[in-house]
Amino acid sequence: MTMATRQDADAGPRHAERQGTLHIEGVRFGYGRREVLSGVDLDIGTGESVALVGLNGCGKSTLLRLCAGLLTPAAGRVRLGGDDLARLSRRNTARRVALLHQSAPAVPGMTVRQLVRQGRYADRGPLGMLRDGDDAVCARAMADVGVGEWADRPVDSLSGGERQRVRLAMALAQDTRVLLLDEPTTYLDLRHQLEVMQTVVRLREERGLTVVMVLHDLGHAARFAERIVALRAGAVAADGPPAEVVTPRLLAEVLGVAGRVGRDPEGGWPVCYPDHPLPLGGPLAK
Amino acid sequence: MSALAPVTARRWPLVLAALLVLTVGCADLVAGRSLDARDVWQVFGGDGDPAARHIVLRLRLPRTLVALAAGASLGLAGMVLQSALRNPLAGPEVTGVTPGAVLGAVTATGLGLAGWRSPAAVVVAACIGGFAGAGLLWLLTGREKSDPARTAVHGVLVSAVLSGLTAMVLLVAPGELGSVVQWLVGSTEGRVWEHWVLLWPWASAWAIAAWIMAGPLTLLRCGDEQAAAAGLGTGRARAAALGCAVALTAGAVSAVGALGFVGLLVPHLAFAVFGADLRRALPGAALLGAAVVTGADAGAQWLSRALAGALDMDRLSVPTGALTTCLGAALLLAVARRGAGPE
Repeated sequence: MTMATRQDADAGPRHAERQGTLHIEGVRFGYGRREVLSGVDLDIGTGESVALVGLNGCGKSTLLRLCAGLLTPAAGRVRLGGDDLARLSRRNTARRVALLHQSAPAVPGMTVRQLVRQGRYADRGPLGMLRDGDDAVCARAMADVGVGEWADRPVDSLSGGERQRVRLAMALAQDTRVLLLDEPTTYLDLRHQLEVMQTVVRLREERGLTVVMVLHDLGHAARFAERIVALRAGAVAADGPPAEVVTPRLLAEVLGVAGRVGRDPEGGWPVCYPDHPLPLGGPLAK
Repeated sequence: MSALAPVTARRWPLVLAALLVLTVGCADLVAGRSLDARDVWQVFGGDGDPAARHIVLRLRLPRTLVALAAGASLGLAGMVLQSALRNPLAGPEVTGVTPGAVLGAVTATGLGLAGWRSPAAVVVAACIGGFAGAGLLWLLTGREKSDPARTAVHGVLVSAVLSGLTAMVLLVAPGELGSVVQWLVGSTEGRVWEHWVLLWPWASAWAIAAWIMAGPLTLLRCGDEQAAAAGLGTGRARAAALGCAVALTAGAVSAVGALGFVGLLVPHLAFAVFGADLRRALPGAALLGAAVVTGADAGAQWLSRALAGALDMDRLSVPTGALTTCLGAALLLAVARRGAGPE
């Protein structure tokens, strides 16, 4: 299949290189009076794969939404490919960053093809007409995650794992350089978890995508991400490659559990053996 | 290209629906008392006696056209509302739009500002009332507009209050009570060219507006978060869609009154037949809405004739709205029994 995607058509290799960067500079954010993020700085380069880990309510998903431009920081800024997200329109943001949500309502009767096409919304012409090549982008997105054969089946007839792949295809149809995933494996069985994670890893390698994902499973984070950013109480507590970051200390201080860390005998990535939860107010307290 | 095959294959439902509308329209033309199909045919052939010509060309034709346009408007309005609010139970009747429009029309009539003889004033009053009803709902739901359940609860509340106000107006100023009752139930009795001339430009303009919004509306049905991530400004899209739905409903209500259940149920039928893509489902909803209302009008006339014959009552006429409401309630029961449920 030959087609000119937006990235190929962009001005030059340096510009294309910059498109996938994400700079989070002194970002603070709160819901009402409750401060969720209290000053986060993070530089993510093109092609990196970053896993955000931390306890429930530590601000991981909020950070992801800020990166997608769905929320605006109370202080600081998020720059995507050098541009301040707060100044980009919704449409222009969606052309450059895609976000896969944890869950979304299924639309009764909507087919896989129709849902994936919704990913092309930001690129549509007047009156919502699909442009030349849009069908090809959708077909490629469906093929990438292996849902092409179900194109005309209603999404609500699919299983949870299949739906998740379809929604991943919708995000891919946005044809962006940056892909954000909010707990992409929640509700999936082990087999489908691995399927989704490996698809993401493969796509990142093939396309040079920047991938930032919120993961609850530290095992997935250690195995499938190149960099782990651990958040605690709205601030970065640890940042680095899995082999350095995943330690008993991280388990205790960030995730609040006592446990041991070993190595996978074949792959060499860190493997956690959590033991028991630590009492609150222990090492967790700031 | 293989992608073209399913598209052409899915075109026949729209063609069938258009044929259905045509058939129903013809049935409505010949449904009334005192003239049978042959007389009507003669009039369209250029013959027929003056009385028959008057009945067909001055009374039946505008009535049928008004029924078609009002039905299409209600079908469209319902689909736009259900998509924008992501609520399968939304409809002009339960979001304050129809009750507001009725209140507007009834109040204007009660104050003597409008009546059957001045349709333009009624249209304006119904529009103001419809927007007031929707605005009330808008204010009440506050920041929770994307929550279907809360919107539904507030919608029922607003509708109940507005209906109560309508009842109060009726008690205080009974005035043209007969014609006002027609508003409440919905009827196409006595609609003339003047109504049609007012209704069709309004209905077509807003129908086009609705169709332009088909893309954003389809996306809104996928949920606010997903729609925003795909590049849609959800707040503005929803506001525009609601404005369009109110305008369509107000137009229809000002012409034929509060026809029950059409705006609530036609979208369900249309989604089932034409699929989830609103670029196809919206025209489908317009056609089905037109077919349902005109069909109900024809049915009501047949029924009136049969009942008048059986009961020996000359002036008996069954209002169209009574028929759509009964039909709609039966359909809603069927849908609920099938366990389709919300989302």
